[in-house]
Amino acid sequence: MKQVGIEAINAYCGETYVDVPTLFAARGLDDSRIGNLMMARKSVALHCEDAVSFAVNAAKPIVDALTEEERSSIELLIVGTESGVDFGKSLATYVHDHLGLPRSCRLFETKQACYSGTAALQTAAAVVAASPFEGTKALVISSDVARPVPHTYVEPSQGAGAMAMLVSDRPVVAAFDHGANGFHSYEVMDTCRPDPEREAGDTDLSLLTYIDCLKGAFADYARKVEGADFVDTFDLLAMHTPFPGMVKGAHRAALRKLRRGISPQAVEDDFTARLGAAVQYPQQVGNIYAGTVFLALASTLDNAVVDRERRVGVFSYGSGCASEFYSVVVTPDSQRAVRAMGIREALDARYRLSMQEYDELLAATAELKFGARDFTFDLDRFPQITKERFTGGRRLVLEAVRDYHREYVWLGQGAAR
Amino acid sequence: MTRNEELTVTDEEIFAVLRAQIVDVLPEAADVEITPDHSMRDLGANSIDRMDVVIAAQEELGVKVPNSELTGAGDLRSLVGVFRRSLSARA
Repeated sequence: MKQVGIEAINAYCGETYVDVPTLFAARGLDDSRIGNLMMARKSVALHCEDAVSFAVNAAKPIVDALTEEERSSIELLIVGTESGVDFGKSLATYVHDHLGLPRSCRLFETKQACYSGTAALQTAAAVVAASPFEGTKALVISSDVARPVPHTYVEPSQGAGAMAMLVSDRPVVAAFDHGANGFHSYEVMDTCRPDPEREAGDTDLSLLTYIDCLKGAFADYARKVEGADFVDTFDLLAMHTPFPGMVKGAHRAALRKLRRGISPQAVEDDFTARLGAAVQYPQQVGNIYAGTVFLALASTLDNAVVDRERRVGVFSYGSGCASEFYSVVVTPDSQRAVRAMGIREALDARYRLSMQEYDELLAATAELKFGARDFTFDLDRFPQITKERFTGGRRLVLEAVRDYHREYVWLGQGAAR
Repeated sequence: MTRNEELTVTDEEIFAVLRAQIVDVLPEAADVEITPDHSMRDLGANSIDRMDVVIAAQEELGVKVPNSELTGAGDLRSLVGVFRRSLSARA
């Protein structure tokens, strides 16, 4: 069995952010709850960005770095999302086109709330592993753009972001432990998106279900992997992070169950040591749904001490619900490869929105209704943001919808307008 | 269970477990006279606190209650009812 894993990973978490304490103050939310969220900033999509443009912007640097021959060996593209733009035509069709991928390529979209990215990743890993050809690659992208619900306690965590991963038999970034995957899934009505502009559900139920799934998926992992221990087997952990406070609560609940009598200080120390690095980027971006678990993995690789081979336990959860606990092995080379993508630098370089700009952006974004036949975007509507943002590099944005077809354009240096 | 029903001994025991867990998670609630009419939200518990209380109470009572029933309960009286029904079903 050949070694399979992630060859490259990149994030695109938008051009702008809003400061979470500022949002709390402006909305009149109880700021004593900021501590519970553990959030500092959240990414906000521009009015002319959607899950397609986010996906392309995340994957573009990975695809650009490949040789022509390597690019032609990408025979599978899967986009995981809960921000679809059509019931039939998948996001992957647009993404495939704007990335210039070969036509000798399968493409489709996956949906299972925030688990959709993991569903895509594991499917891709299985396809690469089963391929009789050396060098077969698959591109997996998770991409979601929230429609924030103003004046609620979920608004501060509703972010926007995409994660792109190249899966191959050259797992520089992370090598999968073959067969080390635990699952736990069942029907539950915790959170959902009943229409493209609404998120509904019960936060408490989601939290309890997430914890059930963490315990259940790990138990299934431990059933398959002899001697697996939640504390001793994994040097680091990366978990789906709707908000970092939730991960902290789930970690505490799991440890109390799996390590009877553990002291509160020992729980805190373990969280800091094994999850402290993973929650850093989610604290800066918010919930990016399908991609959140991979943002946590990239955050781990960028921010943890990886001075030797390390095993990372990864937990993915999607409401409704499906979950998976699996493990990957990372090395100092993995860390170098991820740091070279400049994810932290890109997060730091985002434009800080005032509350007024944030509200204007939400209003502008809401103008494009799901299923609209024709629509044209005013790409100069927020010149203070776009003029500054699109001088340094190329970014894909949505320019128009014509007879249901989405038309995108590259903005930035060297791009023709 | 209605507000007018007397709490049975079992219910009082369940309530005592819940109250102890609430005070454990929210030390500031120790100064409050916690009654069955309180909700955990009234007592200042956030979503993580509420989760900690119901998980710990299940451990203490040795019962696993479906999550949707736990979150469907508003005040502590309803929550006691959820635990009582679960304990009775097990017995």
